[in-house]
Amino acid sequence: MTNKPINSNKNSGMSLIVKTISRLISGLIFLYGIYIVAHGHLTPGGGFGGGMILASSFILMVLSLGSERKLSERFKLNSSLAESLGILIFWFLAIFGLILGSIFFLNFLGKGRPFHLLSGGIIPLCNIGIGLEVAGAISAVFIIFIIWKEKGE
Amino acid sequence: MIYLLCLIPFAIGLYGVIVKRNLIKIIIGLTLMEYSTFLFFALIGYKDGGVPPIEISGGRSLIFVDPLPQALVLTAIVIGLATTALLISTAVRIYQRYGTFDIRKIRKLRG
Repeated sequence: MTNKPINSNKNSGMSLIVKTISRLISGLIFLYGIYIVAHGHLTPGGGFGGGMILASSFILMVLSLGSERKLSERFKLNSSLAESLGILIFWFLAIFGLILGSIFFLNFLGKGRPFHLLSGGIIPLCNIGIGLEVAGAISAVFIIFIIWKEKGE
Repeated sequence: MIYLLCLIPFAIGLYGVIVKRNLIKIIIGLTLMEYSTFLFFALIGYKDGGVPPIEISGGRSLIFVDPLPQALVLTAIVIGLATTALLISTAVRIYQRYGTFDIRKIRKLRG
């Protein structure tokens, strides 16, 4: 980038237009990711795709608005926590099946009416776990590179 | 047709890996080769007029696209992401140590 912003700090983000647009858009991207995760058992997509979209909204915010050292460290901690929480949800669902019916990943909840949002037993919950896991992991990988960049300066 | 379409990005990526001397450009070439393979996998599972392979209310007999390549590609994307992150972190470490991305200048082992 040739034209530098007035603020000489390199981590202060991009220009005002980019900041405003990405502030407007990243909430919508986040909402769309939640929609993809929640409808994972009815439509194409699911935990992985929705998690990627959730992480991309965070990545858009960090890239456009810039980052600070303390905030990055906290973001890394939180995304690692979200990742661990997601995989724990997945694991506990599997273990509950083992406890209640002596089968790993037993679908112990009611199946509900087919082709409705509350159907499929534990599959939507598994999708939510995978979504948290993927979003946390991608955000953590991204923010570690940002922290490296800040350390290098 | 599919084969030719997927061969072109693969060839571009291979050119980048072989000819270029910047580490970042080599990584971009590797990623391009990966993604041309994903495109190939997704395209050979496509059927004309096919719908996504999920159950649809109504129970009509529909033409599904082949779900197996999609599942394979989903796994391969995850592995590709991890590989790319590993390559980039290695490149960053090399830049911190040598101060350059040019592979001709990275010769000496430094402790």
